[in-house]
Amino acid sequence: MIKLLAVIERDIKKFWRNPVVIMISFVMPLLYLVILGNSFQGKFKGLPVAVVNRDSGTYSNRVIENLRALEAGPKTISMFQLNDEGRAVEGVRDGRYKAALIIPPDFSKRVVLDKKPEVGLFIDNTDNISAETIRNAVGGTINFIRQQYVPVRERPGEIFTRNIDLYSMVDYYQSLVPGVVIMAIFLGTMTAGVFNLVMDKFLGINESYLLTPLSRGTIVTGLIISGLTITTVTALTVFGVSMLITGIPFSRGLDQGISILIVVILTTLALLSMMFLFLGRAGHPRVVGLFSGFMNVIFFFPSGAVYPVESFPNWLKAFSKINPEAYAVHALKSILFKNAGLMIVFGDIMFLLGFTTLMMVLAIVTFKRTL
Amino acid sequence: MQKPNAIEVSGLTKKFGELAAVNDVSFTVTEGEFFGFLGPNGAGKTTLIRVLTTLIKPTSGKAVVSCCDVSEKPDSVRQRIGVVPQAMTSDMDLTGYENMDIYGRFYSIPKKERKEKTKYLLDLVGLTSRAGDLVATYSGGMKRRLEIARALVHTPDILFLDEPTIGLDPQSRRVVWEFLEKFRRKDSLTIMLSTHYMEEAESLCDRVAIIDAGKIIALDSPDNLKAQIPGNDIISLTLSDTSRLDEIKNILSGIQFVHKIKVDGETLRIYVDNGAQNLTSLIDAVKGAGGTVSSVGIHQQSLEDAFIHFTGKSIREEEAKKVSFLIGAGVPQKLGR
Ligand SMILES: Nc1ncnc2c1ncn2[C@@H]1O[C@H](COP(=O)(O)OP(=O)(O)O)[C@@H](O)[C@H]1O
Ligand SMILES: [Mg+2]
Repeated sequence: MIKLLAVIERDIKKFWRNPVVIMISFVMPLLYLVILGNSFQGKFKGLPVAVVNRDSGTYSNRVIENLRALEAGPKTISMFQLNDEGRAVEGVRDGRYKAALIIPPDFSKRVVLDKKPEVGLFIDNTDNISAETIRNAVGGTINFIRQQYVPVRERPGEIFTRNIDLYSMVDYYQSLVPGVVIMAIFLGTMTAGVFNLVMDKFLGINESYLLTPLSRGTIVTGLIISGLTITTVTALTVFGVSMLITGIPFSRGLDQGISILIVVILTTLALLSMMFLFLGRAGHPRVVGLFSGFMNVIFFFPSGAVYPVESFPNWLKAFSKINPEAYAVHALKSILFKNAGLMIVFGDIMFLLGFTTLMMVLAIVTFKRTL
Repeated sequence: MQKPNAIEVSGLTKKFGELAAVNDVSFTVTEGEFFGFLGPNGAGKTTLIRVLTTLIKPTSGKAVVSCCDVSEKPDSVRQRIGVVPQAMTSDMDLTGYENMDIYGRFYSIPKKERKEKTKYLLDLVGLTSRAGDLVATYSGGMKRRLEIARALVHTPDILFLDEPTIGLDPQSRRVVWEFLEKFRRKDSLTIMLSTHYMEEAESLCDRVAIIDAGKIIALDSPDNLKAQIPGNDIISLTLSDTSRLDEIKNILSGIQFVHKIKVDGETLRIYVDNGAQNLTSLIDAVKGAGGTVSSVGIHQQSLEDAFIHFTGKSIREEEAKKVSFLIGAGVPQKLGR
């Protein structure tokens, strides 16, 4: 134990003596959030939406009120109320509107009778990002109906519609937060953990501790734990700051906080031990740089952090089944946006635990205790 | 009384691919001995020390260090040895004290004992006043002294030093030598040192093994090694006039104990066995040939001469400079010698 703590302390001390690295570890993921968020975010204000309300019931009025609130508040859309369905759809086709929402005459009745109420949402799907935003935004306005599904009429071909979000509105900026946290974790695992081992090797100072009775388990575990400590602190800070920036409410208090902490810790452990396995024998920091740059892309983009896993082709879906970042993103999104408790993300947590254990055992077994 | 052995090596070989960096080496070091390895760069000194200190596995052969075989019980060996590697291995981002303290914890030394030992050793190597500074701010000599102190923090039975004074200025080098002498007397430590400095081997070591191309070529005390060179003394005779120089040289060359004569102006350098004893007969021979001796000098050959005798080449200082430039932080292990 005294040995393990010494390995950890040595590593953490060295990290704290390096202010530039600390700065970068905190600031880079946040910059990433701002840049990625804004570069996809430009057209999100005032998207023109035509609305045709054929229903005079209370529920359709509530929908219209919610749309007005959306227009006045986050200003995601500009609403144009029309009487003619044909003109509305025409307007989408010739580009005057980004979408047309048609509320049929029996809407309120069906809500009351619990008979699968429907709305028609015709979206200009040539512009994917704004289509997605409108789908989310309009979905949010219909969401008050305590109905599991509000299916919309589908017309495949030039006009594309799909099921509406089940949960409260999440804008794109906010939806990036789990990804940004994963990015912070990944950056941490690049600059701590195995990287320090490779650096020691490169500088030739690993010789000093290989000469001592430290076991390979102690060396590997120690470096992973110190990496975990450093990375968890940075990741949680990045998490907190990006929640503030994007305005995600911290709605469920301590319970939510603990869930987040558990997922962050497990994700960090999973990535640290995986990197250790792959890079434990590397002798040059450049190898770590190249490899982790590659790994970052390979694991990050198919994780669902930027684009939903459901949209992937099957082979990529299969890969996301063994991608720890995909589980992490799923868990964090559930906790943040669906108010899920630990039980809902139990599967994710079990996967991360199993993955970490396997990687750690392999990393220790394959670690070379000689020069 | 025969002292027990601290190190027993037999038939030890370490190959890197085809190259046998250590080639069928056998020797023993007794407890409390100061044992030196003398050899040029690339001779296999570092490789040998790395095998003995459990850093590399031998290709074949056996090495028992302190208690145990290095291949069978490396951890027990590690617990009992202290090592000062050839390249600097301290953490630059930590202070001298922290380096010592963390190292002590790697050996599970309890806090109180660790503190006392660290203080004692830092004091001994004269680093107490700089103990709180980052090692990055230390000079080469200070770093070396810190590494020596660090290697002793767990009170090892055997201390290994791989070219401990390479790259140091002559003054720092002398300081390191003084420490080594001091430690050795105080703790009756067994010390094994590798070097390519003659002076270092000659002044510090009880016994020296001359190693070249992975093989031990000669092994004995420095005095005995020198005594093995034919003509181990040089007598310089300066003549008052050089008119009969050639004749004198011819006559002297015929004498049995004379091995070689070099002429340098009026001075003859005569390589002889047992110079002190044979001096008078040499002077008589000069007189007999009609010459007059105006002054006489006698000096012993150095270990360098012994080295040349055994290996057929000399260790040049130039080579040393080249390497010391390369050594230190930033040299990948694969390149570092
Ligand atoms: N890791 C290694 N891989 C391949 N060859 C090596 C390695 N280490 C040392 N050598 C070779 O072994 C020989 C002995 O090297 P070394 O033990 O470092 O010599 P010395 O310490 O006496 O200068 C050299 O020829 C060197 O090139
Ligand atoms: Mg060497």
